[in-house]
Amino acid sequence: MSLAAIQIQKSFNNTQVLKQVSLHCEQGEIVGLLGVNGAGKSTLFKIIMGLVSADAGEVSITTNKGKMLGGIIEKPALYEYLNAAENLRAFGKIQGAPVSDAATTSYLERVGLDTKRSDRVKNYSMGMRQRLAIAIALLNDPPFLVLDEPFSGLDPMGVTRLRTLIMELARERGIGILVSSHLVDEMIRTCDRIYVINNGKIIREDTPRALVEKSTSYYLISGEHLERSKVLRDNGALIQGHTARVKEPPKGIENIIKDLAEEGTKVFSCVPETDIKKLLDVVDE
Amino acid sequence: MSLMNNAVIRVEWYKLFRQSRTWYALGALLLLQVVLLLNAWYQGASLLDIFLENLKQSFHFQGELLNGHLLVYIVLNTMWFHLPLILMIVVSGMLTSEMEAGTLRTVMMTGISKGRYIRSKFTVAILFTVLVVILVALTSGILSYLIFGVGDLFVFHGALNFFESNDAFLRLFLAFAAGSFSMVFFSVVSMLLAVIFRETVKTWIVAAFFLIVCNLLLQMQLGEGWFRRLFFVNLNDTWQMFFEYTINWSAILWNLIFLAGYILIITAVGIWWFKKTDIE
Repeated sequence: MSLAAIQIQKSFNNTQVLKQVSLHCEQGEIVGLLGVNGAGKSTLFKIIMGLVSADAGEVSITTNKGKMLGGIIEKPALYEYLNAAENLRAFGKIQGAPVSDAATTSYLERVGLDTKRSDRVKNYSMGMRQRLAIAIALLNDPPFLVLDEPFSGLDPMGVTRLRTLIMELARERGIGILVSSHLVDEMIRTCDRIYVINNGKIIREDTPRALVEKSTSYYLISGEHLERSKVLRDNGALIQGHTARVKEPPKGIENIIKDLAEEGTKVFSCVPETDIKKLLDVVDE
Repeated sequence: MSLMNNAVIRVEWYKLFRQSRTWYALGALLLLQVVLLLNAWYQGASLLDIFLENLKQSFHFQGELLNGHLLVYIVLNTMWFHLPLILMIVVSGMLTSEMEAGTLRTVMMTGISKGRYIRSKFTVAILFTVLVVILVALTSGILSYLIFGVGDLFVFHGALNFFESNDAFLRLFLAFAAGSFSMVFFSVVSMLLAVIFRETVKTWIVAAFFLIVCNLLLQMQLGEGWFRRLFFVNLNDTWQMFFEYTINWSAILWNLIFLAGYILIITAVGIWWFKKTDIE
């Protein structure tokens, strides 16, 4: 089973927003579409979901399942005046999905929502809305999910929980998931493969590891007594409290970590500071 | 398969009545009737006495002239503006609220066809409109007859016409039935406007404008011959024809057939427009 967008083109009022965009996603794979706001991510996903028609190109989905796709575009849009189970029932009935109490409970449990909660979804946090929207997208068990900017508006805990859910759905249920975002870090942590889109054009397709290398200029090193470190001083690090910001040295970050260990500096973590603009600039050069 | 067996229609019906604005609209219509009745209670008798002083000296009227029939007739006249306005607000909101909240996108991602979904919206809009007309007829009847009793009905329609109580009851009943065609016409127009304009407030403004223009054109009785006969604006007061002394059944029937034709055409245009438009 696979999902593919082939040579998609789209213009709005003589402005071309998608230029021969192609991507594909296999079963159980998490594929990212990374780009700044206005790059064309949502338009492409709307075309894949059949909401907007393409000027040229096609969307091909090979599957033997009745419902081929589920998704969230832009934001989780729910009936605010209904509770979670009622939302599931309403959207379920529309598509002929099972909507018994047992079925709705199962869907709510699958996305980690409280099955006992009966208040209207207008009281829900963004994270809970995202989860409920994913439960709705999962109705009738589509083999592919399309999630547009799912991390936007979530607090760090919400991001982590959503990322875990997305990975569980892909790994345990074999669902192919297309995710878009402008957050490089989240995409790197979540996806198996990432497309970078800029000005309506796919400019790169890479593994997360390759993108980390290409998008990282600085690393944030956390540790003890960093202000005493000669290695960090020699490498021009900016030190504040327990954190040092180091520009990637020509010899590689792994050697700095090694040198820090040798001089006896305790390092707790080393996190790449990614920058989406760097990915785009590299291509522009 | 009956209409209500259709799951999509059932869901639309359910959603409509789970939204507070639907109940506000029904409440507003009930309140409007109460205001009309209160107004009649305080001012009606004295006004009627002044108006009919000379006639009362020449004719014998059975019962009070300020009676339930007259009050139902006054409520019936909300079909000119108040009732269609409230219906247009509720009906267009059925679609524009979904467009603005993004739930239309969620629905369209369930795999349902655009055609089936918008057909269900139009169907529910028509069913809701008929239900509202029935409710207005029932509540106005119950309140008016309980408070004011029955008697002869006098109305001014071209000339001052008087109808005996039983005759008046039948005419009022038929007028509500014929009026439901006009109300359905305005409802499907508002749904079409929602399909085209996509924004709640913009749709309301255009709908209200359409209603006002329709009423103005009706006053003007535009056109001659077949145009005048077929122009939809002139068909919308068919329900008033039940208050002519002699009911012109043939004209009423043809008017309602033409009005039904307009309803079908507007619905078809709405469905076509929705199907060809992207969901943003």
